[in-house]
Amino acid sequence: MKRYLETGNFAVAQAAIMAGCRAFAGYPITPATEIAESMSRLLPRVGGYYVQAEDETAAMHMAIGAALGGMKAMTATSGPGFILYADPYGWAIGCEIPLVVLNSQRVGPVSGITGAPGQGEFYLSRYVTQGGNFETIVLAPNTAQEAFQLTIEAFYLSERFRTPVTILADQLITDGWEDISIPETEQEKQAMGLRFAERRVNPGPIFYPPTDEIDIPPVVMGKNTGALCSDWTPTEEGYDIETVEAQHKHAYRLIYKIRNHRDIFSRYETLFLDDNPDIIVVAYGTPSRVVKTAVKQARQLGKKIGMIRPITLWPFPDELFQKKAIYLTVELNYDGQMVREVRRTVPCESAVHFLGKCGELPTVAELQETFDRLLEGKPLERRGWETEAW
Amino acid sequence: MKERIEILASGFGGQGVVRLGQIIGEAGVKQGLHVSMLKSHGTEMRGGYVRSQVVLSREIIDSPICESPDYFIALSLAAYQKFKDTVPEHGIIIYDPAFVEQVDKSLRCSHKAIPAKELSTENFDSPLFANSLVLGFVARLMDMLDRDLVLQSILEVMPKFHEQNREAFEMGYKYV
Repeated sequence: MKRYLETGNFAVAQAAIMAGCRAFAGYPITPATEIAESMSRLLPRVGGYYVQAEDETAAMHMAIGAALGGMKAMTATSGPGFILYADPYGWAIGCEIPLVVLNSQRVGPVSGITGAPGQGEFYLSRYVTQGGNFETIVLAPNTAQEAFQLTIEAFYLSERFRTPVTILADQLITDGWEDISIPETEQEKQAMGLRFAERRVNPGPIFYPPTDEIDIPPVVMGKNTGALCSDWTPTEEGYDIETVEAQHKHAYRLIYKIRNHRDIFSRYETLFLDDNPDIIVVAYGTPSRVVKTAVKQARQLGKKIGMIRPITLWPFPDELFQKKAIYLTVELNYDGQMVREVRRTVPCESAVHFLGKCGELPTVAELQETFDRLLEGKPLERRGWETEAW
Repeated sequence: MKERIEILASGFGGQGVVRLGQIIGEAGVKQGLHVSMLKSHGTEMRGGYVRSQVVLSREIIDSPICESPDYFIALSLAAYQKFKDTVPEHGIIIYDPAFVEQVDKSLRCSHKAIPAKELSTENFDSPLFANSLVLGFVARLMDMLDRDLVLQSILEVMPKFHEQNREAFEMGYKYV
């Protein structure tokens, strides 16, 4: 095991190479620039390709092109670039092209603040392209080390599920420095729970069976298999077609190959849920780390507080929210995004509250005050822009 | 060692605040500790405000924020004013009198001064080595940090002027 003090961006690039990524197309953007920078140095050494595209739409198309050519490919960006991925992302979903996409969330909307963390693309990562009729896999790390592990996992899942997998990080994960352990031997990789899947080639003639099956090799162009891989609805044999029935079959595949195999990629962390806590705090990404410190401290102070951290954000882990409690969702946005899913999911008699920050983390002190307020039965009131709990 | 040590460094852009944090963090990693470091700065790279928040721990680090720093390295008056009240009673504020001329005597934490800029200018004809002086001083104050690993980290992180950096580090370490 090699230990580094490095950024999450470094960790992600190392992971991508280890997972077999041999093509990266991107466009530099804070706070994900160093992924592109690292890949531009690392890829040529392993016989791979790095392209700096003219913009993010082109970058995503190029990454898809590389994947269609049989390579494991990746691209990385932040919110302003992620929205430009929307169009080609749909192509990758529809044609079932394995790909890894990282979005390091910063403050939005639009360019917002470059060097500060946000969590504004929770829903965008789910509804990442137009048209509906698809399901997505989105993984959210909360440390650089976990970003390393989830990047490898994203490559693994993208191959098995034949779909783009999004890693939804934030600025503090990719730009922050941490101790990172990179495994060197097979044993160390296994001990870390890393999983790898090779790229395979689908020889045809059936490319898109109307089933929820996974582990079907993807289309690879240039192999004379006959699959078109255009952006239209495909027949089972990979030709273009515009019929309701063919579309229905294909949509079933796109949705249920993921929904029916959630056990393969469902990940979460829970803390202190066994004694029916009064409050359950929900957070993902970097804020969840402050929440964890606050919840541990609250327990020492005798407050019955628990925590849920979804790591697989999409499909949303509804089953984690079965306990009756007061729920508090902590996010790096002011509009409240994940809190809507929590409201949808919890038992109907549970109250759900929202604490939003953006550009900076909530503090432990702030969280303790919020816990106390909720334990006293006081609502989190909106009193103007400076109050966080709208 | 306490379960978790928080070190906050803040000053102007261009002073090497991030490098300072990085070197302490690097030394922590070499000692087998868990380390996290958040850096925040304004959009301007030079002259604006910069802050590094370093956490060292034997356990996996949850919150990466320095809410009550055990050590606060203040490299500008603005930084001192902004964060001095977060330092708890057992905490130490390390400052350079060239930037912080007067300290707040009402604080219950302790203060330790090192005239790093002045010493660097006197001995090396340049303020460039002030941070190595500060790091030497910090290495002595922070008993959980291995002195030699801090020095080794400086030499690894700073690609140039090894001789001067080493000398400056020793000078800071011995400074009373």
